[in-house]
Amino acid sequence: MGEFLDIYWPLIGISVSAAVILMAQQRRTTLISLLFNYLFVAAFLSQQQFIKPDLDLFGIMVSTTVLVKIIAGLSAVTILAITALTFSRDYEASALDEFSLAELRRAARQARRLEIVSPRRFADVVVPMWAMVLVAIASFILPRLYPIGSEEVDFAWYWLTLTGFFTIVTASDVLKLGLGLLLCVSSIDLLYTAIASTVQVFPLALLGLTTIVLSLAVSYLSGLMFGRLKTLELNELYKR
Amino acid sequence: MLYLLTISFPIAMAAGLFLLRARQIPAITGAILTVLMQMLLVIQLPVDAPVRLLGLTLAIDPLGRLIMLTILGIALFAYTVNFFIAHGEHFIPISLLLLGFTHTTIILMQEPFVATLLLVSSGFLAILAIVDLPIGSSVLVERSPLITALHYLVLVLLSGFAMYMAYVLLTIYWPTEQSSQSSPAQLIMSLIIVGFGMRLAIFPFHSWLVELAEYTTPMVTVIVITALNSTSLLFLISTFQFFPIIVAENTRGMHVLMFLGAITMIVAALFGLATAHLRRTPSYLVVANSGFMVFGVASATSNGLAGSILDLFNHMIAVLVIYVSIALLERPDGRPVVTLRSDLLWRWPLAGSGFIGGCLLLLGAPPFSSFTSKLLVYNAAAESGAHFVVLLGIGSLLMLAAVARLLYERLLGAAEELPTEQMPILLATQEMSRQSDRKLIGEPVGLSIVIFLLLGVSAVIGLYPQLILVTIEDVIRGLTFVRVTS
Repeated sequence: MGEFLDIYWPLIGISVSAAVILMAQQRRTTLISLLFNYLFVAAFLSQQQFIKPDLDLFGIMVSTTVLVKIIAGLSAVTILAITALTFSRDYEASALDEFSLAELRRAARQARRLEIVSPRRFADVVVPMWAMVLVAIASFILPRLYPIGSEEVDFAWYWLTLTGFFTIVTASDVLKLGLGLLLCVSSIDLLYTAIASTVQVFPLALLGLTTIVLSLAVSYLSGLMFGRLKTLELNELYKR
Repeated sequence: MLYLLTISFPIAMAAGLFLLRARQIPAITGAILTVLMQMLLVIQLPVDAPVRLLGLTLAIDPLGRLIMLTILGIALFAYTVNFFIAHGEHFIPISLLLLGFTHTTIILMQEPFVATLLLVSSGFLAILAIVDLPIGSSVLVERSPLITALHYLVLVLLSGFAMYMAYVLLTIYWPTEQSSQSSPAQLIMSLIIVGFGMRLAIFPFHSWLVELAEYTTPMVTVIVITALNSTSLLFLISTFQFFPIIVAENTRGMHVLMFLGAITMIVAALFGLATAHLRRTPSYLVVANSGFMVFGVASATSNGLAGSILDLFNHMIAVLVIYVSIALLERPDGRPVVTLRSDLLWRWPLAGSGFIGGCLLLLGAPPFSSFTSKLLVYNAAAESGAHFVVLLGIGSLLMLAAVARLLYERLLGAAEELPTEQMPILLATQEMSRQSDRKLIGEPVGLSIVIFLLLGVSAVIGLYPQLILVTIEDVIRGLTFVRVTS
């Protein structure tokens, strides 16, 4: 068991952190899990030696590419965390007409009421939990049906992709939907690094850029939505 | 060096004009000058002379250059239109960034992974334009644009994921293909259909385009459809060119794609016919035409390809003309906002005529150039089987019916401005209950000239199709996947 953990700890870390993103409801938990997910993916890539380490960082040999991935991931999490903390693209009251001001007040009242009348329930976790079971089954079967890289790589990217998809499907708020999208990008990143015969600078830079632009887009939309509806709940957005 | 300049110039100008975004006239003028400069750069680009940079191949073929110039031309008109029509605060910088990204995608088309990522990133940028509010707006962002942006965000990523996986499978399986290994051709084809289907708004992935057209400003719709969707279609052709094995090993898959194109045309035209909405119906027609173009590409014949590519140019011009006309038709005319107007042609004769011209261009009516392109695709359909001709015929008739209904219900109704008998002031009528005088402002003549200039260009190409068809046919002769099936 100890030997298993010694070898597969990054893989276990990837699985657990992605699973937490899928199942947890609190934003703080999911964001911290995303951060750990990026760190575990970096550890996995370093461990599998897809890229030769070329940088001595405080006595630890790491690859520049892996370091760039960590920085991109860290930036994405920071952008989302700042958004989650501050939110709200606050409108200047003087710039709005009376109808818009009334609309804002109504949205704030509704959001407060929503917080009071709909506390977190166990039922909210049931669908993500069954989704998790499906992810687990599919991640063990799909690498055998459609193998692309090594067993570990296949398991890791299938797991990330499927948790990402199910997070998108089961997401109840915009920020969580964004986390699902980021998991999908992360799986593409992992797969590219693992299977490319020669890892090129430009595609890697572009993958990092895509991650950051995606998190910016999600933050911007979250901010706009919170500013408008005083909540990130998708149910409220679709109410007519 | 020239490639780098072509890639970085619009992006750098976007950053510069972001600072000027609140000052409308300098920002638009700067954007127009940027586009003109970019046109010069694109013309200077050496054709079919690949360059290696950072391990990537940068190249451009005559077709790519023609599409880049057309997109720039559309952007030029779109910016000119912005002098007259309200637009988002960040429209100029975002659209310039989009131009930079689409040009980079076209230049890097030989690198499918990179091109896919660039398409995804440009989609993310377009989201910022979707939720953009006009300068100094006193209203809140509506729910509908937010929903549209969210849908587009998810769709862009999923389509990018599907395309990326298709390229991964292509790279992994085919170069090291073993006889014992089952061919992943069908899986790859499915991923390509899903990935490109989402980007090109093919049924059943078409709803985003309708939402986009309905809830965003017309110029955002124009930029997304012309720049991003056209680049995606070019990318689909490049994919078949670089991986001809997809076509060779996938006759059934290509037939499915052809059916999907034809079905898209029919379904979208039916949806368009079911409603007579000034924005929704044309967007369904745009979706139907996308299906038509995909059909031509999927036929993998020289006629189909030539027709589709020529139709792509018509599509871009028609979209610009239609949405500029819509923006003009939607201007306030003194009547209450909730009034369903049915006399738009008489109220705004120039914009109304432009709208009708744009719809006819999209339908392929003579003498417009789309008539030639439609004929070529029909020819390709006849080569592939009579049932395809029937399907396309049904689609075209339904499109025509949708346009006829829209024109009948929204444009050609009895003019309200016709002299009517003056109602006498009745007893107990108060000043408040009397309707206020209608403010009948004129149409911007300059903008109307632009619309008719575009329609004129299309008519000239329609009368002398060889002007553009020669270049297209030259490019098609070099496409290997066309030879595979013919």
